[in-house]
Amino acid sequence: MKKIILNILVSLFVGASTFAQTPQPAKPQSEAILLKGGIAHLGNGKVIENSLIGFDNGKLTLVADATRTKIDVAGYKEIDIHGQHVYPGFILPNSQVGIEEVSSIRAMDDYAEVGEMKPNVRSLVAYNTDSKIPPTLRYNGVLIVETTPTGGRISGTSSVMNMDGWNWEDAALKEDIGVHLNWPNRMSRRFDFATFSSKREPNKKYDEQVKELDAFFLDALSYAGLSNKERNLKLEAMGGLFSGEKTLFIHAGGAKEIVESVKFAQGHGVKKVVILSGDEALDAATFLAENKIPVILPPTHQLPDNTDIDVYEPFKMPYLLTKAGVTVALSHEGMLANARNLAFYAGSAAAYGLSKEEAIQLVTLNAAKALGIDAIVGSLEEGKHATLFVSKGDALDMMSNDLSYAFINGKQIVLDNAQQALYHRYEEKYKEE
Amino acid sequence: MKRFLLVSCIIVATSFMSRAQETFPRNDVRDKREGAYALTNGTIVVDYQTTMPNATLLIRDGKIERVGSGVSIPDGYTIIDLKGNYVYPSIIDPYSNYGLPKPERGQGGFRFSGQEQIQSKTKGAYNGNEAIKSEYSAADNFTVDAKEAKSLRESGFGAVVTFNPDGLARGTSALVTLDESSDNNVLLNPKASANYSFTKGSSKQLYPISTMGFIALLRQTYLDAKWYGVLNPRPFEDISLEHWIKSQSLPQFFDTKGWMEVLRADKLGDEFGVQYIIKGGGDEYQRINDVKATGAQLIIPVNYPDAYDVDDPLEAKEVSLEDMKHWELAPTNAAVLEKNGITFAFTAMGLKSEKEFLPNIRKAIEDGLSEQTALKAITYTPAAMVKATDRLGSLSQGKIASFIITSKPIFDEKSSILENWVQGHRYEFKPLDTKDYAGKYDLKIGSDSYKMEVSGEPGSQSAKIVVNDTTDIKLKTKFDKNLIEVSFTPEKEKGLVRLTGWTDSKGWSGKGQLINGTWVDWSANRTGDVEEKEKKGRPEKEELKPEMGSVIYPFVAHGNLQVPQQETILIKNGRLWTNEADGIIEETDILLKDGKIAQIGKNISAPGARVIDAKGKQVTSGIIDEHSHIAASSINDLATNSSMVRIGDVIDPTDEHIYTSLSGGVTAVQILHGSANPIGGQSALVKMRWGASPEGMKIKGADGFIKFALGENVKRTYNSSSIRFPQTRMGVEQVYVDAFSSAVEYEKKWNAFNSLSKKAKATAIAPRRDLAMETMDEIINGKRFITCHSYVQSEINMLMHVAEQFHFRVNTFTHILEGYKVADKMKEHGVGASTFSDWWDYKWEVRYAIPYNAAILHDAGVTVAINSDDAEMGRRLNQEAAKTIKYGGMSQEEAWKMVTLNPAKLLHLDSHMGSLKVGKDADVVIWSDNPLSIYAKAETTIVDGVVYYDIKEDAKKNEWIEKERARLIQEMKAMKKEGGPTQKPRGIKRGDFHCDDLTVDLNTLNN
Repeated sequence: MKKIILNILVSLFVGASTFAQTPQPAKPQSEAILLKGGIAHLGNGKVIENSLIGFDNGKLTLVADATRTKIDVAGYKEIDIHGQHVYPGFILPNSQVGIEEVSSIRAMDDYAEVGEMKPNVRSLVAYNTDSKIPPTLRYNGVLIVETTPTGGRISGTSSVMNMDGWNWEDAALKEDIGVHLNWPNRMSRRFDFATFSSKREPNKKYDEQVKELDAFFLDALSYAGLSNKERNLKLEAMGGLFSGEKTLFIHAGGAKEIVESVKFAQGHGVKKVVILSGDEALDAATFLAENKIPVILPPTHQLPDNTDIDVYEPFKMPYLLTKAGVTVALSHEGMLANARNLAFYAGSAAAYGLSKEEAIQLVTLNAAKALGIDAIVGSLEEGKHATLFVSKGDALDMMSNDLSYAFINGKQIVLDNAQQALYHRYEEKYKEE
Repeated sequence: MKRFLLVSCIIVATSFMSRAQETFPRNDVRDKREGAYALTNGTIVVDYQTTMPNATLLIRDGKIERVGSGVSIPDGYTIIDLKGNYVYPSIIDPYSNYGLPKPERGQGGFRFSGQEQIQSKTKGAYNGNEAIKSEYSAADNFTVDAKEAKSLRESGFGAVVTFNPDGLARGTSALVTLDESSDNNVLLNPKASANYSFTKGSSKQLYPISTMGFIALLRQTYLDAKWYGVLNPRPFEDISLEHWIKSQSLPQFFDTKGWMEVLRADKLGDEFGVQYIIKGGGDEYQRINDVKATGAQLIIPVNYPDAYDVDDPLEAKEVSLEDMKHWELAPTNAAVLEKNGITFAFTAMGLKSEKEFLPNIRKAIEDGLSEQTALKAITYTPAAMVKATDRLGSLSQGKIASFIITSKPIFDEKSSILENWVQGHRYEFKPLDTKDYAGKYDLKIGSDSYKMEVSGEPGSQSAKIVVNDTTDIKLKTKFDKNLIEVSFTPEKEKGLVRLTGWTDSKGWSGKGQLINGTWVDWSANRTGDVEEKEKKGRPEKEELKPEMGSVIYPFVAHGNLQVPQQETILIKNGRLWTNEADGIIEETDILLKDGKIAQIGKNISAPGARVIDAKGKQVTSGIIDEHSHIAASSINDLATNSSMVRIGDVIDPTDEHIYTSLSGGVTAVQILHGSANPIGGQSALVKMRWGASPEGMKIKGADGFIKFALGENVKRTYNSSSIRFPQTRMGVEQVYVDAFSSAVEYEKKWNAFNSLSKKAKATAIAPRRDLAMETMDEIINGKRFITCHSYVQSEINMLMHVAEQFHFRVNTFTHILEGYKVADKMKEHGVGASTFSDWWDYKWEVRYAIPYNAAILHDAGVTVAINSDDAEMGRRLNQEAAKTIKYGGMSQEEAWKMVTLNPAKLLHLDSHMGSLKVGKDADVVIWSDNPLSIYAKAETTIVDGVVYYDIKEDAKKNEWIEKERARLIQEMKAMKKEGGPTQKPRGIKRGDFHCDDLTVDLNTLNN
């Protein structure tokens, strides 16, 4: 046995330089950089066809139209990106990046703790900067992720991570941003062995489940106010919701659930609420717009929920909600490795109603707003983090998404990863043959 | 009244005892009674075609002696005056489980975890598969169930065919009457039919687990029985097969859940020269032409769905259009069958209570079924189905005296069943002469006078005191043959006035007690008739019935009101991606005619053709998905070698994913078996013909393919307590070598037999036919081609070696995510690759999958397709192809071929599909943009020159769906308002509903 382990170790070290390891974390920005001549998609809906994007010490120092103003660009190291596109780093909300590796292997998963109410559980501390997945997301322009615990009624507390760093402290963009709540469903699914089919039927426990939440939130609110108390980790973790430091992310399965859960949160003193929901959000769109609740949607690359719906509805959802006045962001569901297609989910939204710039917002500024980080990232604006990338073509289209540069906090990151290494290895092998 | 019934029951019961079998011991003197009755003065419906008004029926000793008008009544016959009531042959249910023990409930043998049961656990010399229960004899297990018999008789039934609802082969049924005399007496035919089904029942054995497995097992059992039947002496005993063989001469009943399974059952029967009588599902109207074409007689349930409670518009979204439409149209099913000349019988199976049986048949009559056919379907036809018309189903001379007496014609809504006679035994429910008390009365109670009115149908009449034009006092009354009880609360008083009395010449009189306890005499003298008031509120039925919706094809939202037809289509000035030497050609016309590409060129003119202006658009051949699991009712079976199962047996043309696929430009797919076993089932190659029949979906003349699978799924990685062989990649190789070696031996045996002289053959016994081995031989002999689910390089290498050892080539490796590591070997072997564009890391064996796989394999000279394995991705395959440009720098044309021409090559369809070339199939898509772009939409999708998808028509369909839903919702609300039963909306995700859901669950094994 020992021998086997030794062999494995040896092979790991031997292969390390080529592909077994994730790319080396980048060094801090050492000189001011100017991206010159690119088509800049600012992430706030605006576009500069011939842009000057400068950044220093990890922050954007210049976002300007090269044709309109005379600007002193001395002191910048210039990179000519004429004909290429610049985007703020794409942001992936509600993901298990860093805490899920190979989902089918239990030892490699750290996203779902046992229990029902576990706001105290923090994804931050389990975030693995050596995961093989982030490099493949970066390769397509995803530079910021929310890493989110799952399962139970309250799954835990999420954090926002930069997709570069030696360790989680290093990678954290904003720690402990919010608590994720899985709101009970009015309809529940039951598997019936007699007929060997699953049935959706009214959830008889709905009221009871809401009551449990009510009690928990009341206790948490009380705990936040008490001065003399025994420490309770669960209630303590809820504290930020009432002070506005944290956001309550509510995963809700139907229009009624959306309305009820938002009113519940508001009634319990929660300051910031975000809804995660599918096409049901459409039936509550006016309510969401009035209450200024951002919505994080599942991928547009989905099938309609049932046979009677417009076949294009998943593609149209971002447009329909945006039109109703809702701030919309996109997320990923299912096989984590596929989260690298986030840009294309936005592309489909552009094919079905949104303008391209609006579609970009879904994965940049809107996502930043939903995560409460729009003051520092999410758009190309002076003073914000220099977290951005350059693509040779339209990054929302798989045909042309082709990154030439990417920066996180001004640090130029390595885009190639183990997959490119394997590609080149076998390309070489067959060339030699 | 109740007491009277009880007494009569006791009397009846006593007289039964005297009719015990002669062979039985006796504990009294002989007490034989003749049972001679003359029923006169009624309308006697002798059979569904013959009605005799004012006729007489003579019965004696349980048989009908004579029937007719003017029949003289011999002396000594007990005369029963029918008083104008109606007599019908009693109802026969050909599909019942009456009087049999309930079978154990199984879970279809499927468990999410735990050990598999590979072998049968039935004790005794029975079949190797627990689901083959041909040895079961209903007659051996039957006993009279008095409670159930009573309830059936009250609903008009006199006899049933009863079977055990357990297993795929369910043994034989028995024809029994609903008399209670004795088990021996009521059992009319101990072998009435042999029964089969697509429901596995109590068996916990692993195989089969899917409908296609059920079909495969039944098919193999037919073959086994044929082989076993001629073995002499039998080398081993199989009691199940013995019974199977014996029961072939009986009527063969097949249980199904609806039209799709009706077609499947019939197709299975056709293979073995068996015409089943098929129990349908009540939805046959949805595909009536195909059902008619089976030529099968049907047994039809009348369990129409309740209306849905759609008060809440959001909750109503849970109900699909399909379910709403079925709610509306289900009662028309029988009328549609009649119109199409299909012989059918009704069954009460599936109803919550037999009491709903006649009312639901009346609904069918309201919706167009003729009364004559309805009567036939509950009397003659069920008797004929079990060859019992000589005894049951009519009231002619010599038949068993089983009949019902009704107050009005049987299908009259107000008709009630007064008596039910079974085998000459009388069961009474209501008196034959219910008095009609309707009228106006002067009611005198002591010194008080009231005006009283009695109204309603005799037998259920009610009375009230009329105070003035607007005020009535309701009376609580109980009318009996001679007696009456009345109680009421007079105006402005508390308490009850209670009266009891009897009929007299003027009306009633009797004794009563006032509220204060004073005893009084009372009388009610009839003074005249109640005037017919104008009927308020409920209008006549005819007015009430709004126009019904139409059947759509397929019967699911986005189905077609008119089945689309082939057209001559001229697509002008498009940018054509030919996939041929011409490459992409700008502003060119393409003419589609007779389902083929007729011409490609500039300025084509085609008078009469439908012209589509494609200027600024791009035109391609349709997308072909080499790896799909849509449009089938089941995907996985679980035998290690499942090569005998066929996806082609379970095509589901109603799967909405056919439509979503069309919306993504897909025109053909290979429906592959799942990856639960090293040797999976045979695939089906279909085109996306939305609205076609299951057989109509198939690509005629296509080569046969089969799914193999390697790696984590087949070694049962996800069930830690699995015991199924194999559990390692080492074992997987052995499965293959064993299967092919056995097939070689099998072929040798058959070759030896086939080479015998005619004379020698006549006396020799043919080897057993084994459908799995035959499939293996097809592979070895190049008549069937492998698509193998594969991931890591070791196993890919292994299978190529196995194939080479048996001198054939693997056709395609599917998934093949580590194919890039053995691209040179694959090229050398001559195998193609069908892969995901960018999937990886969802399990250990795909840890080193890279999105450059397609490009590397392509560069190495392997034919590469990009597939979906997923209905969602299936409609975006154009985008998946585009990823090979991003990962590996493929040219646009080569990328496009990966979802069109290359899969056509891998499926051996490239001679008539996969490119825009004159003579090839007119499977054409018009795109709004470069088809590889994320912004491209498939605007028109044409299959065989038929426009199956059009983006504008789609928008219209969406509007129609909303309108149709709104119409049905209003109707359901009207129904609820009238007090009709409703059910709560349930989920509408269809995939979650079907009985083969296992398939859905096991789809997790497909990646």
